[in-house]
Amino acid sequence: MLMILSSSCFRRSGPVVTPPNELHEVTDEAGRRVLVPRKIDRIVSLAPNLTEIVFAVGAGDRLVGRTRYCDYPAEAKAVAEVGDTMTPSIERIIASRPQVVLVSTASQLEAFTRQLNDQQIAVYVTNPQSLDDVFRSIQTLGDMFGEATRAANLVTDLKKRADAVLAATKDQKPVRVFYQVSGSPLYTIGRESYLTDLLRRAGGISVTGEVASAYPRFSDEAALAARPDAIILPSGSAMGDANSTIAPALRNSPAALNNRVYKINADHLSRPGPRLVIGLEEMARALHPEAFK
Amino acid sequence: MRMNPAREAYTTVQRTALVCGLLLLGLLVTFVIASTFGSQRLPLSASLCALTGKSDCGLSPEQQAILFDLRVPRILLAGAVGMCLAAAGAGYQALLRNPLAEPYLLGVSNGAAVGTMAALVFFGTHEWSRPLLAFAGALAATFVVYRLARGHTGASPERLILAGVIVTTFLSSAIVFITTLMDATRIRSFTFWLLGDLSGTTTSLLSIAFIAAAIGVAVLVINARGLNLMMLGERDAFDLGVEVSRVRLTVFVAASLLVGASVASSGSVGYVGLVVPHLVRLSFGSDNRLVLPAAAIAGAIFVIVADTVARTVIAPRELPVGAITALIGAPLFIYLLKR
Repeated sequence: MLMILSSSCFRRSGPVVTPPNELHEVTDEAGRRVLVPRKIDRIVSLAPNLTEIVFAVGAGDRLVGRTRYCDYPAEAKAVAEVGDTMTPSIERIIASRPQVVLVSTASQLEAFTRQLNDQQIAVYVTNPQSLDDVFRSIQTLGDMFGEATRAANLVTDLKKRADAVLAATKDQKPVRVFYQVSGSPLYTIGRESYLTDLLRRAGGISVTGEVASAYPRFSDEAALAARPDAIILPSGSAMGDANSTIAPALRNSPAALNNRVYKINADHLSRPGPRLVIGLEEMARALHPEAFK
Repeated sequence: MRMNPAREAYTTVQRTALVCGLLLLGLLVTFVIASTFGSQRLPLSASLCALTGKSDCGLSPEQQAILFDLRVPRILLAGAVGMCLAAAGAGYQALLRNPLAEPYLLGVSNGAAVGTMAALVFFGTHEWSRPLLAFAGALAATFVVYRLARGHTGASPERLILAGVIVTTFLSSAIVFITTLMDATRIRSFTFWLLGDLSGTTTSLLSIAFIAAAIGVAVLVINARGLNLMMLGERDAFDLGVEVSRVRLTVFVAASLLVGASVASSGSVGYVGLVVPHLVRLSFGSDNRLVLPAAAIAGAIFVIVADTVARTVIAPRELPVGAITALIGAPLFIYLLKR
């Protein structure tokens, strides 16, 4: 017993298993300077969109930890879980010996980031506020994992699709949209959300686009007074049947009266990763069916 | 010089009627003022005209909907919740002879919150299960606190508060535990609800809150005389002919009903049951026949004012009403203690 204990202690305090690897400095999306190894082969992702990006740029086989919600692509489910997005297990993360941990600002893990820093584990924070920011995340992560070409090809392809949407909706009259994050209590998207940008690209205008913060708790009265012409409900898939009905305050809105309430797969919209472009295409088709005939 | 008992009863009734009448007038004024405030500006005179029940006041259909479908039900709910919590607080304080007894501090609100969450998790589609389980949770928490507080030496105020702290923290952990097990997508709405949220009420929850408020306050007022005598000590009250154990049980059940109904419809709004009865006692003395109904009306005013602030101060965004009641309540309470 003592032998086991001492040997495991020894292993812990011994030299790092990975061979010495040159470090270089990158600036993450929160403006932090992070030192990461040139060659990365152990990654932990703490958000579903980041897991999707890791797989999309071809570094999925180097993912050694993910959250409970990281369920796409299917291969991701084979990777060990390190907890929830909001409450990851620091012990499991350290035990999986990552060289870099990918975090989204949405999960607000400041204290946690500090603990990982103390363990000499690099934490890269992403904070996309527009579709271009998402493309930039994909490219930077691709570069970091030595998959620059693959990431560049992916971004080119995604950009082409996004531009096609923009071209199709360009001459359409923008639709005034209320994006319902949750109905009771009412939450929507504000100025700092990448979804406000995405909605604009899809030929819509968010009626709450000028509201401060990313996901404000919104007044029922203001929602009713905004008189949106369309309502988007991100629901289904990982969300289950949550958020599948519009808030009572919006029941008599022009959107509801004219049957312009669109349910769109929440996984395509609430994960700022490669599939966000699918969400963009789905929103654009819903808002401007005539432009895609 | 002794006052004629009949005359004393008469003056109490008169005084109660006068004070409650004035408070009701205040409540009406608060209601009208609160309905003219919101994240959307409505034309003042047209709104006042519409509130009197006239149909052609020049409000657009949207403005009509904002006023009558959203704002007025929310103000009514705020009133019902304030009534429930303040009356329950006054009831607990009289019964437990402890000025700090309050649904939130005793853990009763948390008991009701656990009940409501259980209802949402297990019977999500049946709205009526929420107030029912909230009531059960409040009742269970009340019972446990009371039993914990009664040691060999009887219930001391310190023991009671300690018991309340224990039950509150235990149930808070239970709440955290349940939220952890729940769907991630529902956590945000729960954290908001736990601090008190009066938006998005339904007609059935609103009517349940009102029925519970009416029954609960009425039962407490009926038992006010017994409570007055019990404030002298349960032994003395018993000798004076009060059925102590019956009054105690009735008041506990009524107070739990009030707390359960308010938590099921709006989450945990803190400090109302503490601040309002104290203000009422400071202003009008501690006769429960006056304090109980007066606290109920003043509680309605307090929560309506707090919620008006919550829904307007950072409009079109909103704050949880519980944050406002605590923000007003805590300093006010410190001031009262220092006086």
